Amino acid sequence: MIFSTLVLSTFREAMAKKIFLGFFAISTIIILIFLFLINVDSVEGMVDMVGASGEEGIRKLVIGFEVAMIDISYLLIITFCLISVSSFIPSMLEKGNIDLLLSKPISRTNIILAKFIGGVLLVFISLIYLIGFVWIILSSKSGFWHFPFLYSILWLTLSFAVIYSLIIFIGLISQSTILSILVSFFLVFIVCPILYVREATIFSLVENSAAQFVINFFYYILPKPSDINKITTDIITGEAVNSYMPVFSSVLFMLAVLSASIFYFKKKDY
Amino acid sequence: MNIINTKDLSKEYSSKSFSKDKILALNNFSFEVEAGEIFGILGPNGAGKTTLIKILLGITHRTKGEINIFGKEINDESYKLKVGYLPENHKFPNYLTGEEVLTFYGKMSGLNKTEVKKRSDEFLKLVDMEKWRKTKIKKYSKGMLQRLGLAQALINDPELIFLDEPTDGVDPIGRKEIRDVLESLKERGKTIFLNSHLLSEVEMICDRVAIMNKGALIRSGRVDEITLIPDNYIVHCSDLDESIMSKLLNNFKSTVHGNNEFHFKSDNIEELNRLIDFLRQNNILIRGIQREKNTLENMFINLIGSQN
Repeated sequence: MIFSTLVLSTFREAMAKKIFLGFFAISTIIILIFLFLINVDSVEGMVDMVGASGEEGIRKLVIGFEVAMIDISYLLIITFCLISVSSFIPSMLEKGNIDLLLSKPISRTNIILAKFIGGVLLVFISLIYLIGFVWIILSSKSGFWHFPFLYSILWLTLSFAVIYSLIIFIGLISQSTILSILVSFFLVFIVCPILYVREATIFSLVENSAAQFVINFFYYILPKPSDINKITTDIITGEAVNSYMPVFSSVLFMLAVLSASIFYFKKKDY
Repeated sequence: MNIINTKDLSKEYSSKSFSKDKILALNNFSFEVEAGEIFGILGPNGAGKTTLIKILLGITHRTKGEINIFGKEINDESYKLKVGYLPENHKFPNYLTGEEVLTFYGKMSGLNKTEVKKRSDEFLKLVDMEKWRKTKIKKYSKGMLQRLGLAQALINDPELIFLDEPTDGVDPIGRKEIRDVLESLKERGKTIFLNSHLLSEVEMICDRVAIMNKGALIRSGRVDEITLIPDNYIVHCSDLDESIMSKLLNNFKSTVHGNNEFHFKSDNIEELNRLIDFLRQNNILIRGIQREKNTLENMFINLIGSQN
């Protein structure tokens, strides 16, 4: 009861800060753009043309839309989510607020877990709305009901959860929303993409084996949202997934960072 | 029965991050609070009062010492089901209404929806905030927030209530109303742990107080006992003439305050009896003899002054 109250309070906070509204506004705009796109004459014509080439043509077209959708979701939704939820922990830690929370019969471990679950559920529900609607629109229009696209809700939520665990940790230590956003953005949009292409690009520039070892070390210990995004795309397109290591190592990173957050929060005096 | 019992409670802080220099916020602090009393904690700024409250509530960790609340060492959060707390400068989420604040903190205290509704009605009425219940708290004044904070501290019908500066920012009428609420809670058998800078207020409502300075307990006891000035008596009597007054001044080292009152100081009870004999032999009617008392404020200032 107490735990669920705290989880729901995250939703209440998201409503009050217009996060939900923003999320649904962006999602709705994307959905409307999709609706518009698949109804314009040129696309209708393309669908007819592809339809004439058989089921395989329709399948390819739908999957193409879906992959584009994943990239859009990853960029727009994850970015928006990271900015939105970064304030959850610093606002909880404000003097006068944290004192009250800690005086209630809930353990510090459960406070962190409730905040984590609340944020992840928020993004999960929002992605159900966005991906679900796009899937219904594409499927009903094309007649091709491609269920693997729906799995992307889970993969995108996982990507978010991994980064959110880091936001929680930075928020706890720094009590700063700005720093949480900056670090998570730096990691998601600079470090991880660079590490993702390390073998194809970086290693051709950095031939020193010690330096390559360091780069590999960071690749393996840090979360891998770019890799998870690639796995999501592979699943949607039906290509074989090379390795699920990025998923496991990202989940391990998330668990380690969450444990570190709980440990720090339990020790901290407020 | 003691509701709170601490033994050799200490708290050390690092003076700076990564520094080995320590600040002793609490120094072997031992005290107890009895069930059903209003207990006041007094001390200058930085004495360790808020640290003490936060340690008792698990908001800050002790460095060493024992804490028993409701007769058990506090090892988990379960005792907090029976505790209410109003922190100094509390901050509620400002997007909530007064009623939503009580609903949220009521549920966080383990109440179900029906209980929360019933008690919200009861306590909003008690703190005279009924008509503001649907208003967002960002529109509340400091006094209104303080009243709501008090209702929040009481929402789970706690047995033990910690109040840190409950009348801060409240006007004199509001302060009186809060005092009345505390008195009525005491009548209902609740135990109240009060930290307030308003010593006159503490003197009015507290049964016992503890005075602390630099993290240490320097005096504790019943308010009427610790404000007594040792060996000082006030004697109320019938009219004193010049010759009697003169003898009182010369023979008994008294100070006369008007025709019907004089102050007498002696650590010898026989001397007090000699004084009474003297007055009776001179047909002076004794209307009353009482121990001389200080105000809590004067006593506090003298005590802290002598320590610093």
